[in-house]
Amino acid sequence: MANLKLIDIKKSYGKTEVIHGLDLEVLDGEFCVLVGPSGCGKSTLLRMIAGLEAITEGSILINDEKVNDVSAAKRGLAMVFQSYALYPHMTVRQNLAFGLENLKLDKDDIEQRINKAANQLRMEDYLKRRPGQLSGGQRQRVAIGRAIVREPSIYLFDEPLSNLDAELRVATRVELKALHARLGNTMIYVTHDQVEAMTMADKIVVMHDGIIEQTGSPLDLYNRPANLFVAGFIGSPKMNFLDSSSLPEDIKKLAPKGAKTFGIRPEHLKIQDQNSLPLDVKTVEQLGSDSYLYGATIDNQEISIKLNTQTSIKGGESIKVGFDKDNTHWFDEKGVSL
Amino acid sequence: MTDVIKFFTRRQGKKRASLTDWISYGFLFLGFLIIFLPVLWLVMNSIKSQFLLQKYDTNFLPMDYERVARATTYGPDGKDILIMKDLEPWVMFWKNLDDEERAEKDVVSYIKNFTGNEYYALRSHFGLVSVFAKDLIADQNLPEWLIKYPSMFPSAKKDYDPQSIVDSLNDEDARLLSEYLGLKPYKGNGFTAQILISMPDPETGELIEYSVSRINPTKDTVNARLVSDPKGGITKLPQNEIIINKNLKPSWINYTDPLTNKALGSFDAVRCLNNSVFVTIVATIITLLINSMAAFALSKYRFNGQIVFFVIILATLMVPASVLIVGIFKMVTMTGLSGSLWGVIIPGAATPTGVFMLRQYMLTIPDELLEAARMDAASEWTIYWRIIFPLALPAIAVLGILSIIWRWNDLILPMIAVSTTKAAYTIQLCLLDFNGEYLAREHYALAMTVVSLIPTTLVFVFLQKYITTGIASTGMK
Repeated sequence: MANLKLIDIKKSYGKTEVIHGLDLEVLDGEFCVLVGPSGCGKSTLLRMIAGLEAITEGSILINDEKVNDVSAAKRGLAMVFQSYALYPHMTVRQNLAFGLENLKLDKDDIEQRINKAANQLRMEDYLKRRPGQLSGGQRQRVAIGRAIVREPSIYLFDEPLSNLDAELRVATRVELKALHARLGNTMIYVTHDQVEAMTMADKIVVMHDGIIEQTGSPLDLYNRPANLFVAGFIGSPKMNFLDSSSLPEDIKKLAPKGAKTFGIRPEHLKIQDQNSLPLDVKTVEQLGSDSYLYGATIDNQEISIKLNTQTSIKGGESIKVGFDKDNTHWFDEKGVSL
Repeated sequence: MTDVIKFFTRRQGKKRASLTDWISYGFLFLGFLIIFLPVLWLVMNSIKSQFLLQKYDTNFLPMDYERVARATTYGPDGKDILIMKDLEPWVMFWKNLDDEERAEKDVVSYIKNFTGNEYYALRSHFGLVSVFAKDLIADQNLPEWLIKYPSMFPSAKKDYDPQSIVDSLNDEDARLLSEYLGLKPYKGNGFTAQILISMPDPETGELIEYSVSRINPTKDTVNARLVSDPKGGITKLPQNEIIINKNLKPSWINYTDPLTNKALGSFDAVRCLNNSVFVTIVATIITLLINSMAAFALSKYRFNGQIVFFVIILATLMVPASVLIVGIFKMVTMTGLSGSLWGVIIPGAATPTGVFMLRQYMLTIPDELLEAARMDAASEWTIYWRIIFPLALPAIAVLGILSIIWRWNDLILPMIAVSTTKAAYTIQLCLLDFNGEYLAREHYALAMTVVSLIPTTLVFVFLQKYITTGIASTGMK
């Protein structure tokens, strides 16, 4: 059980600064997801927390103790790697035992912990096999099991689901969430997939270009994005952005002062005349439960709509789409939410 | 077995062997012969007797001649030539033995089995004349100058009259002293090993035995001497009619003598082999440890001067080993390792090839494994020993095999480090040592050469898969 505090963390490789002074607090027992596009520094941040990467400036506090100079081995954290990083020459049991042996635990204790983890993750059947003989999902379990047996204060996950197929990913996502509920430990989870972030997190940290764009609960971020980046990043398909000067007069009236960009989520657009924009439909995607329409509106600006039903609209038609004024987002010149 | 047959009868698609097949198999067979024949020749020669080797025998198989000794004696009755059959090999080759080997034989009692001219011939063959003569002079209180007489200048000899002393002795003693002093009609007796051949009598068809000194296959005739009448002089026998009494007689003592330490002389093949085994095993273990640790550091750590170190290590690959001889010699001498097997082991323990090969392999081990191990609270040593070393085993196995071959076959380092200490000779040095002495011991040398080939051959046979990988990845063998 532990909390984590990052104070003004900076990281440079040579002269290139990749993390520009981050502050973050993860509370005890929280499931915190670091999300952002690739190259935003989220993995680097996680590795700095783990102790695998030195920090250039700032301090990391675990349970209010500064651990900047404590080695990865002694921070008492456990990490699940994207590639799982299972030791290929060891059996699953040896993989689980390796960390415990290094901690000089006695044999009975090791045995007990392995059995407990194997039981929890339902991997008793393949304890004697090597990673090469396991499927992707089984390896994933072993990687998580290796973290669990350590009984760490904080779990770190580095895109652990990205190597799984879609179905397994959803299943494992649910399992991880359940695991968190059962263990109650602090977990920090890195992903580029905003669906994972939305579904699992207690707290989402959206990162972009080495800074934190916004921190908050999943719905906070969805409903009240702090800026253009977060608004565009959270939600799928992404939010439609239109230049507010190009809007029809009746919509312009809704704009707060200083608004430069108008944003509306595809799922909040409906086929209606009120508060409406013209749309020349180019492509229609039918998913059965939902339909996506892609097209162009005023000044040829691209726009997409998500309908919760099947539709008879075809490409080439011109229709009118409208929205509820409660669902609008406005951003100023700097992209900050108004 | 069926796999082997299948392999050797592969054809190019069609059912019948095509021209390409014939040419390919012919070429492969030729290549096989070119490589294999010298080895086969070595093996066959290694079981030939010393006598055959000295006669430059060109037979493929170890066909040994029946041998006889031809002795020449000089006595009151004049010159006598006699042929002695059924003598033991060491008697025939007494002149080739060294002092130690001679000391092991009790020749004094041995010659008591002989009488007459055979006795005299063997007595001088074994060099016992001077020994017995000196005893005689001492026993009979003969003048001291007799001992020096044989080595005197002719002018000095004039001052003495040995004949009168000889005349005063009985016949046996007179003959002994005369032989020692070289008084006429006694001259130095001759003794040589010859080949026993036989030829059917042209009339009766009965086999008649002859003794010849050598058989030159390029000539039509051989110069032979009748065994029953050696004094009858030399007759020329037509080469195509003679019967050379050859027996297939592999000379296993070439192997058993050195290996059971019965080889005459200072040569101790067992000790040499033990030294080689020790050097090979210990040096290979040390090489693997040091090289894999260096490769681990160079491949997985970032530190200042990493590239410089790597380049320096690689640069030493460009320096020929022969350039370093003096340097290594000084190093070995100054560290006091000279004459010790450690002087052979340590200078070669770190090889740039090995470091390079292992480093390249270790680069392919994902860094995440190391990070995972660090998260698992592993020390750097644990990471090396429990993660990197086992994962690099394929490359380490290759290096191990190469190291075994290098160390076993190495001659230069042992020459630098232990050439002054016979007790520390490795097998390669021992083999070299054969050629350096006055004594011809090719038969042992050849046999021990074959023995020294066995370990590397076994390594090649059983681990050739790894070796080809090694050659493919380093370009060295």
